Amino acid sequence: MDSPSPPPPPEDSPPPPPLPSTSSGSPTDFLKAVVGKRVVVRLVSGVDYRGLLSCLDGYMNIALEQTEEHVNGRITNRYGDAFIRGNNGS
Amino acid sequence: MADVPSQGVQEPFDLIRLSLSERVFVKLRGDRQLTGVLHAYDGHMNLIMSDVEETIMIVEPVEGAPEGEGIVRAVKRNLDMLFVRGDGVILVSPPSRT
Repeated sequence: MDSPSPPPPPEDSPPPPPLPSTSSGSPTDFLKAVVGKRVVVRLVSGVDYRGLLSCLDGYMNIALEQTEEHVNGRITNRYGDAFIRGNNGS
Repeated sequence: MADVPSQGVQEPFDLIRLSLSERVFVKLRGDRQLTGVLHAYDGHMNLIMSDVEETIMIVEPVEGAPEGEGIVRAVKRNLDMLFVRGDGVILVSPPSRT
C-alpha cells in the first residue's frame, strides 16, 4: 500500500537466506552471515522491523538501517537508523 | 561519514554513541514514545534525556467496536530532564542523518 517499495527482502518469509558454504553453522555464524542483508526482526509484541542489519551484539541488541516498522502488515513508521534493545526480540 | 552504511558502527551501541547530544526518538513499553536530546546512556540503555516530549497512546474502548479497536488518544507532556530506566526501552532512533 505504501508505494515506494524497496528491493524485495530476500529473507522475507520462513526460509532462511542462503547459508555460507560452511554447513551446519552455529547460530552465531548464521547471524554473522546475515549482517548487511535485509532482515525482519520480530519483537515479542508482534511488531516487525524490516531493514538492513548493520550489526548486533551478544545481548542481541540490533542496529538496523532503512528500517520500516510493520504493525499488522501496515507500515507505521520509518527510521533511517534504529537501535533495538535485545530483550525485545523474538 | 555516516552516509556510508555501517561505517563507524561496529556494534549497536555505536549507533547510540553517535547520537549523544542529538535529538533522538525513543519507543518505550506501554505505548509511550519520547523525543528529546540524549545526554547519557549505559549498557542497560538507561538514558538521560532533556527537553523531552513524551507521547502516550491511550486506546479508549468504544461500545460496539471490536476488541482492541477504539479511539486512540495521544496524550503529550513535556519534561525538562528525564531519566529513563533501560528495561522500558524498545527502540532508539537517531535523527535521520542520510
